[in-house]
Amino acid sequence: MNTRSVAAQPVITEGDFQKFTEFFYRKTGIHFDEGKRYFVDKRLIERMAATHSETFRSYFVALRFEADGRELQQLVNAMTVNETYFFREAYQFDCLVNHMLEEVAARKRPGSRIRIWSIPSSTGEEPYSIAIYLLERWARINDFEVEILSSDIDTNVIQAAQQGVYSARSVAQLPPSYLKKYFTQQGAGEWRISRELVESVEFSLVNLTEAKDTRRFRDIDVVFCRNLLIYFDDLSRRVAAEAMYDAMSPGGFICLGHSESMSRISSLFTMRRFPDALVHQKPLEAR
Amino acid sequence: MGLKKSSEIAGLRRIEAREYPRDFEGLVKQLADPDPSVRRWAARDLAGHAQAAACLCERLAEEPEASVRAMLFTSVAQLGGSAVVDGMLPLLRSEDAALRNGAIEVLASLPDAVAPRIDALLQDQDGDVRIFTVNLLGNLPHAKVPQWLGAVLRTEREPNVIGAAIEVLAEVGGREVQEDLRTARRRFNDDPFIVFAADLALERIEPE
Repeated sequence: MNTRSVAAQPVITEGDFQKFTEFFYRKTGIHFDEGKRYFVDKRLIERMAATHSETFRSYFVALRFEADGRELQQLVNAMTVNETYFFREAYQFDCLVNHMLEEVAARKRPGSRIRIWSIPSSTGEEPYSIAIYLLERWARINDFEVEILSSDIDTNVIQAAQQGVYSARSVAQLPPSYLKKYFTQQGAGEWRISRELVESVEFSLVNLTEAKDTRRFRDIDVVFCRNLLIYFDDLSRRVAAEAMYDAMSPGGFICLGHSESMSRISSLFTMRRFPDALVHQKPLEAR
Repeated sequence: MGLKKSSEIAGLRRIEAREYPRDFEGLVKQLADPDPSVRRWAARDLAGHAQAAACLCERLAEEPEASVRAMLFTSVAQLGGSAVVDGMLPLLRSEDAALRNGAIEVLASLPDAVAPRIDALLQDQDGDVRIFTVNLLGNLPHAKVPQWLGAVLRTEREPNVIGAAIEVLAEVGGREVQEDLRTARRRFNDDPFIVFAADLALERIEPE
């Protein structure tokens, strides 16, 4: 055994942790508090080993000054959990039906259209969760025509979303009554979502940083864009935020992932603190 | 059911014939339209025209609407290149902090195009411009940043610029700037802030 490699376990000091979390927040909008210390340290040490950095400082300096952003992307991948399932971060869906839609509805005539955009659609868990939430938990669902749009850059996941077959793990957070009502069990541990729900979501292929893809999206009242922008570089993140701003109605809301922050990306949106969640809003006076 | 799938007719807006010409000349004219939403869309679409850098940068200096400004900055950052750097550098002299900060952000996103200008910026007659350049270096992903900041520590006469450089190096400096930090500490040993900041930076950089 190489004794040097055993002795070379790097140390992340309190100051290093603070410096790193500040930098990572500036670059990605993701905030890690002291409670995530073990999680962050472990992944930092893994990335330091992968890049042959002997000290935190040498790793951090290289990370700061790399022009192509590749290591930052590796780090983002390591620091984020790319998992989707029904009713993930459901407090935002609670906020949708308890507060955001009430405000949106107050500005509209009964019978008019409310438009919700879920991006990325991934394999459909999020847009279908929104549909189920609206049907089950928003009393005014029949007063409006609600459109759920959902987009992704990947045709394979859109196809999977439209097929609507999910693992037991994916549906584990759903109340049993909803599972029974909206899904049919097929085979061992597989659940197929109802065609009615599949038909209620308009899926589309969209690259959020391509103006030609996003320009046709208009009058969106609520956007769910969770855990996507963290994978973009600074410029793409800004372009995406501008595209969503233009797609939204004045007063429309945008929900990001629980550790993401719009204020690091764009100053166009204002922050709204509801009892269930903190969301961002396009100002009512905006055009 | 209140859920309704959007259709071609009731749903998304179709891409159709434009109310205004969307060619380069038409978009440039719309940058001065009285309606901010027209100006914003013009700024957005001009990101697709490589020759738009100069007119987008010029518009920034007079655009009053924050949402249009934001789009102008995003579009020039998308265009990139030396023409954008040429357009952003005068904004470093602006009295408007939002404009200056926006320019710094754009310049920081263009490391290859801005790098050849750094030496001249660090020699600018205006001390504020030199401070903003140091601020830019703090966000510039370029391997020469410690070298540029090291030169500031050796040659700069203005303590405020030195202080700004030390602040950046305290975060990102390595062993290669330790001697420059000691030099700055000696040069400004009658300035308690510089002495304190240099000591702190040296403490943070691991010992040789």
